[in-house]
Amino acid sequence: MFSDLSTPRDDSSLLCRPTEDLAPVFERASPAYSPCFERFGVGERSFSRQYAHIYAARLMQMRPLLTEKAEQKWGSDVLVRKLCDLQAGEQCCIVGTLFKRMDLQPSILKEISEEHNLLPQPPRVKYISDTDELILEDELQRIKLEGKINRDRCVTGSVIAVYGAERNDGKFTVEDFCTADLPAQSVRPALDSDRFVLLVSGLGLGSSHADSMLGLQLLVDMVTGQLGDQGEQSGAATISRVLMAGNLLSQSTQDKDGSTKAKYLTKKTQAGSVEAIRLLDELLFQLVTSVPVDVMPGQYDPTNYTLPQQPLHRCMFPLSSVYPTLQLASNPYQATVDGVKFLGTSGQNVSDIVRYSSMNSHLEILEETLRLRHLAPTAPDTLGCYPFYMKDPFILEECPHVYFSGNAPTFESKRLTGADGQEILLVTVPTFHSTQTACLVNLRTLECEPISFTAFSAGDDDESEMNISH
Amino acid sequence: MQLLNKMDELYLDNIDEYVNDHDKIVTYKWLSLTLGVHVNTAKQMLYHYLDHKRKESSAQLHATYFVSGKCVDNGHTSHKASVVREEQLEEFKSKMSLIVSVHVYSVQKALLRDSGPLYAVDYDAVKDNLLSCSKYSAIRCSSAVPMSSVERNAQQAPPPPVLEPQQSKKPSTNGDTTSKARPAKSIMGMFAGKAAVAKSQDGGKEVKSEPQEAAAEVDVPKGKASAKFNHMMNFFGNQSMKKQEKPVKEEEEVAVESSLAEPRQLEKVQGEKVTTEPPKYNKKDSRSKTKRLQSSDSEEDKMEKKKRRRIKKPVPDSSEDEDVIPDSPPPVAMRETSPAPTMEPASHPGLSETTKIRKRRRVLKSRTFVDEEDCIVTEKGYESESYSEDESATKQAPTKNQAKTKTSASNEKKSQKKTTENKATKQASIMGFFQKK
Repeated sequence: MFSDLSTPRDDSSLLCRPTEDLAPVFERASPAYSPCFERFGVGERSFSRQYAHIYAARLMQMRPLLTEKAEQKWGSDVLVRKLCDLQAGEQCCIVGTLFKRMDLQPSILKEISEEHNLLPQPPRVKYISDTDELILEDELQRIKLEGKINRDRCVTGSVIAVYGAERNDGKFTVEDFCTADLPAQSVRPALDSDRFVLLVSGLGLGSSHADSMLGLQLLVDMVTGQLGDQGEQSGAATISRVLMAGNLLSQSTQDKDGSTKAKYLTKKTQAGSVEAIRLLDELLFQLVTSVPVDVMPGQYDPTNYTLPQQPLHRCMFPLSSVYPTLQLASNPYQATVDGVKFLGTSGQNVSDIVRYSSMNSHLEILEETLRLRHLAPTAPDTLGCYPFYMKDPFILEECPHVYFSGNAPTFESKRLTGADGQEILLVTVPTFHSTQTACLVNLRTLECEPISFTAFSAGDDDESEMNISH
Repeated sequence: MQLLNKMDELYLDNIDEYVNDHDKIVTYKWLSLTLGVHVNTAKQMLYHYLDHKRKESSAQLHATYFVSGKCVDNGHTSHKASVVREEQLEEFKSKMSLIVSVHVYSVQKALLRDSGPLYAVDYDAVKDNLLSCSKYSAIRCSSAVPMSSVERNAQQAPPPPVLEPQQSKKPSTNGDTTSKARPAKSIMGMFAGKAAVAKSQDGGKEVKSEPQEAAAEVDVPKGKASAKFNHMMNFFGNQSMKKQEKPVKEEEEVAVESSLAEPRQLEKVQGEKVTTEPPKYNKKDSRSKTKRLQSSDSEEDKMEKKKRRRIKKPVPDSSEDEDVIPDSPPPVAMRETSPAPTMEPASHPGLSETTKIRKRRRVLKSRTFVDEEDCIVTEKGYESESYSEDESATKQAPTKNQAKTKTSASNEKKSQKKTTENKATKQASIMGFFQKK
């Protein structure tokens, strides 16, 4: 525990007159660090392609893995068929991409083609319904699935292997299915001391109410070694890296007034994101002078919208980009810190699956995507994605040690042990803006703990009065 | 020990001044940045001050504390860091299962209802001292060294080095006017008392350190900074009043001063950056705005011109005026029409009417009109015979003149409005050309 690590020494209280020896300076732990963002570059940026290539590439890459898994699970003599070779009544295994046909799924085509002046489909929390159908596709054909497969849990785009038989009515009855499951993991080197990586997401700068700002400042002050007693400061010195997992700016900085209002009305207005970015630059500056920081963009940040989001541009941070400690990262983030492999996103992939499946827990979904061996199965169906051609970079080729997603409603973490002895820490990083909570990952023990910041507010003792007045 | 006590009195007086006289919220961070002391020392200073004042039991003071520790909240342990009011401190501490640190966060005269102002105070302090904000913290990061521009270029991120010359000029000139007078005076005042007592050696030292500090101060472009400076002066002023007779002390002061001056100089650089940026943005903004204004104006003008042209076209007299507006097709038309009217001046009034085809009376006239292919055609032919020239001429002439004067007036107006007529009109003419077709 970070708290245990930072226990106070008896002789060093700050509740006394100034003493000579209480101006300690701790050296920041500096672990080996190697980013691997190239994987999530978008190359030539050609947007004229069709998305079908992604599914084709995905299925091609995943098929051998799933065939292998299927043989492990149902015996090496299992019949692995393609859909075109399928014969009714024959027990076999099919590898394919799931497609869930959903009535409620918003579709621009639906809105255009049904020229009945329909209202736009209302945004919903969940787009699943009882009429959803699960369909398995391979390169050539598709078949409806029935049987022992949880329709609501599955999402479009996941590549799975199903075992069962085709019935006479042309539907495939699933008896069992399997996913690609966890990839192989490299060995994590043993560390001799506790070192932490601080994960934080959803700073929400530039929002209309600045209540959370003191919390954020406390976070910065703690990490930079200003707050607390000596013990706390020496503890903070072991935070070797800060990772900001997206949504640094608030959603409210994204007002679309500029495009809808008349020009003369918006002449004097400045985009809300300008001020917010300046604020972010100042915050980052305080951090980068004291600790290495990785900055991932998120859904509301000024970079491309589609995954993989490219790093924010340096020119937005005139103050902090001078420091080599500032690392502007891509949105699926992959890096190795002290031999510990980090992989994660700013949370778009997870919150998209929340909308299109019955799963609600971000942690559960995080584990599910790991088991599917795919970071963002719903891309490009319901999640914006660059039209990749030859490869699908979201397929996990290597098992990370820390797998996280940002902008979750609450902090959750879980240790997962894979079939081949993989050890993975799953973390959902809460939105700092609403929860005032960040989390610390211990690189030595691979444990994670939340760290929260609170400040008093006027409501604390006025609550009773407030109730009366209303 | 004696030395320490002296220091005590100094900062106690200082904090007292900030809290009571300036009615400030003094946070440990602000104090650390203002006095240039380690954050932990600043925390202790605040505690000492609070303790001291409570013993005196003079005016009421409010304090906030920072508490952090392990907190078990329905089964989940977490590290919790909070700023709490003094009244809630014990209650808060009792909730923690392990207390890691407790220290004074801020001292202020007024009772804080919420913690917003605490952030505002720190924000301003940090913004003013951005470069030295981690100087007094307890953690050093060896890798956090600003890159040179070469290294940055190597990182394929071209930095804007163009900004620097502009930035360095502006604030210093700004700062000069305000601070030249002030620090000079206060520095003089500061050392005036001592000067008599000080030995020549010490004097030399002071002289050395003075310009350094002055230079540092001069460039701080903020009013607040200069106010702060004033406090600093009071700080030293008090001191010198109290113990003028100790040259040793002075040496120490010099040391303190120069150490103070150091961060200032850094801050100066920072200040420049910070303060000059906003105007830059503004400038850019306004420029683009004016551009947009102009362009939109010229568009409107274009429209007007087009409309007017339709009226004017048949009026050849106004061609001198109209030539200013080089509408490429119309001038040609006018030149063509002009010979015809000279031969038969009576046709003038008719001209304006022909386009509207109101006349039916027979008279030999030349008629000019624009046919489908946009050619100006002059025809001679009989029109109405029972045509009384006087009437129609007198009737039409004034109206035409009015129209002419009106248009020319508006032309003048237009030309006044747009000083950069040439460019705009050229553009307009080209546009007109295309719209014609």
